[in-house]
Amino acid sequence: MVVASLAFVEFLVIILARDIYLNGLHIYTLGASSPNLAIPEHYMVPVRIILEVDAMSIFMAIITATVSLAAAIYSLAFMKEETGQSRFYTLLLLLVAGMFGMELTGDLFNLFVFLEIASIAGAALTAFRTRLADTAEGGFKYIVVSSVAALMVLFATGILYAQYNLLNMGALAHVMQYTMLDKMALVLLVIAFMMKLAGVPLHMWCPDTYSVAPASITIMLIVASYACLYALFRTCFTLYGVGADMVTVGWIVIVIGILTMFVGVTMAVFQTDIKRLMAYHCISQTGYMLLGIGVGLAVLNRPEALNTYGIAAMDGGIFHIINNALYKGLLFLTAGALFHRTSTRDLNKMGGLAHKMKWTTVFYIIGALSISGIPPSNGFASKLLIYESVYRFNPILAIVAMITSILTLASFTKAFYSAFMGAELPEYQEVKEVPKTMIAGMAILAAGIIFFSLFPGLVVDHLAHPAAAALISREAYINGIMGGGG
Amino acid sequence: MSILGLGYSPWSPIFWLLAFVVVTIMAYFFRRRGQKKYKKDTAQTKVFLCGEEVPEAKQRHIRAHNVYWGFFETMKEYYEANMKTHTGIINDYIIWFLVLIAISAIILFIVGIV
Repeated sequence: MVVASLAFVEFLVIILARDIYLNGLHIYTLGASSPNLAIPEHYMVPVRIILEVDAMSIFMAIITATVSLAAAIYSLAFMKEETGQSRFYTLLLLLVAGMFGMELTGDLFNLFVFLEIASIAGAALTAFRTRLADTAEGGFKYIVVSSVAALMVLFATGILYAQYNLLNMGALAHVMQYTMLDKMALVLLVIAFMMKLAGVPLHMWCPDTYSVAPASITIMLIVASYACLYALFRTCFTLYGVGADMVTVGWIVIVIGILTMFVGVTMAVFQTDIKRLMAYHCISQTGYMLLGIGVGLAVLNRPEALNTYGIAAMDGGIFHIINNALYKGLLFLTAGALFHRTSTRDLNKMGGLAHKMKWTTVFYIIGALSISGIPPSNGFASKLLIYESVYRFNPILAIVAMITSILTLASFTKAFYSAFMGAELPEYQEVKEVPKTMIAGMAILAAGIIFFSLFPGLVVDHLAHPAAAALISREAYINGIMGGGG
Repeated sequence: MSILGLGYSPWSPIFWLLAFVVVTIMAYFFRRRGQKKYKKDTAQTKVFLCGEEVPEAKQRHIRAHNVYWGFFETMKEYYEANMKTHTGIINDYIIWFLVLIAISAIILFIVGIV
C-alpha cells in the first residue's frame, strides 16, 4: 500500500514537472476560492498559505519522490523482522510529507512547520530499531540538532514578520529593505540550514545519526537534508537575491563548502565503520553542491561572470544534488544489505563478500565509481561542470575539489577491498544475497545512475539548468505571487 | 542528449564508452598473444607468497584498519587535531553552531550585504 501510494506520488510529480517545464511556475493558494488567487480581494498582500512550485522546487520533488519510492521498496524486506510496521510506514510517509512540504511551499512559516515535521519523523525513524545499540542516541542527536536549527528558522521568520507583516517568501522578497535585522535573519537562516545539511563544522551529528538509522531511512534523511539545501538556496537567491550584494554570503558558502568537502573526505577515509564512512562522504559531497552554488551566489550581481561560468557552476551544483541522491542512496542501501546479512558495520570484520552477494557487489561498484567521479559516470559529469566553472572563478578551489575526488576514490576502494574482496571468510560461509525487494530498491537507484551517466546533457538541459534559471529569476517567483500567479 | 556542453570542450559518455570498447578489444588482442602454456586447476593457480605456505583466508585478508597505514601515519597530526573536535557530545555541536552564527554575523556586519 505504501509502495503503491509512493509510486502514485512519483507519477503525480512527473506530471506536475512536465506541466511546469512547459507552462512555467504554478501556485496553489490553500483555502482560496481559486487556487491562483494569491492575494484576496481588498488585500494588498497574500495572507493565505500558498504553495509555489517552480523548476527548482519540482527538481527537488522529483528527487524526493524517487528516493522515497526506492526506500519504501527496500524497507519491505529490510524492516520485515521489526515490530511496529504500521508505525514505521506512517512515520516514513510523514517524513515524505515534510520533505515535499519544504520543497513546495512558498511560505516561510510553513517551511518551518514542514521542517519540524520532517525532523520529528526523521528522529523517530532513526531510533526506530530500539533493540540495537546507539539508535536512541542517533535519534536524540538528530532531534536536538534539528530543533535548534528549526528554532533559528522560526526566530528569523519572526524577525522578518515583525518588520514586514508578511510570511510569504515572494511577497517578502518584493518588499525586502535589507536592514540590519534582515542581515541577522539571513545569518540565522543560512547557518540553521547549514546545520541541517551538515556543513563543516556543523557536521558532527551526521555520522552519529546516519550510521545507526535503518539504511532505507538514512537515504531519506539525506534527501531531507537536501530539502534544507533547497531552503538555503531559496533564502539566498529568492528571499534576498540580487537586491543585495551576495559576494560575502557567496564566499561564506564557498568557504564552508570547501571545508565540508575536505574535512568530510579526510574523515571518511579514516573510518572502519562502513556507514560512518559513507556518512562522512555524504558531508563531503554536500561541499561540492555548496561550492557550485556559492560561486553562483558570489557572481550573482556580475552578469558577465554569471553567464560565463556562474550559471554553469550552479548547473553543476544542482546536477550534483540529484546525482548524489542516487549514488549515495545506492551506497547506503548496499551498506544496509551488508549489515542485513553480516550483522556488522565494521569493515575490519568483513571480507570476501563478493563471492556471496554478487548483486550487492555490482551495485556497490556502480555507486562507488559514480561518487568517485570516474568517467563515464554521472558523478564525473557533474563534477566536471563544477571543476571547469569553479576553475574560472578561483583555480585553488577547483584543485581542492579534485583532491577531494581522489580521496573519495581511495576511500571507496578501501571499503570495497575490505568488505567484498579477498577469499571467502569462514564466518560468512552461510551468507547469501539479500531478498529481491531489497535488490529492487537498489536497482531503481542504479538504473537512475546509469541513465544519468549516459544522458548527462538531457538531465542538465531539462532538469538542472531550468532549476538554476528559476533560482536566478527572482522576479518570476515574486510575480508568481504579487502578479496574481500562473 | 548524451553530450554535455562545457566551457572548454563538450563531454560525451557515449564517445568515452566507444573508446573504452576499442581499448578493451586491443587489450584482449594483446592478451591472446601471451603465454599459451597456462594450465587450469594446477599448482600454477595457487597463491604464492615467497614460497611460504599459504595462510588461512582469515589470516591473509588485510583488514580495513591496516589499509593506507602510511597515509594516516603521515597525516597523524591532522587527524589528532581533527579527532579532538569530534567529541560526540551534543553540547559541543550546539557550541559550534553558535560560534558559526557569531562569526558569520560579524563578517556580514563588517563587510555588509548592501
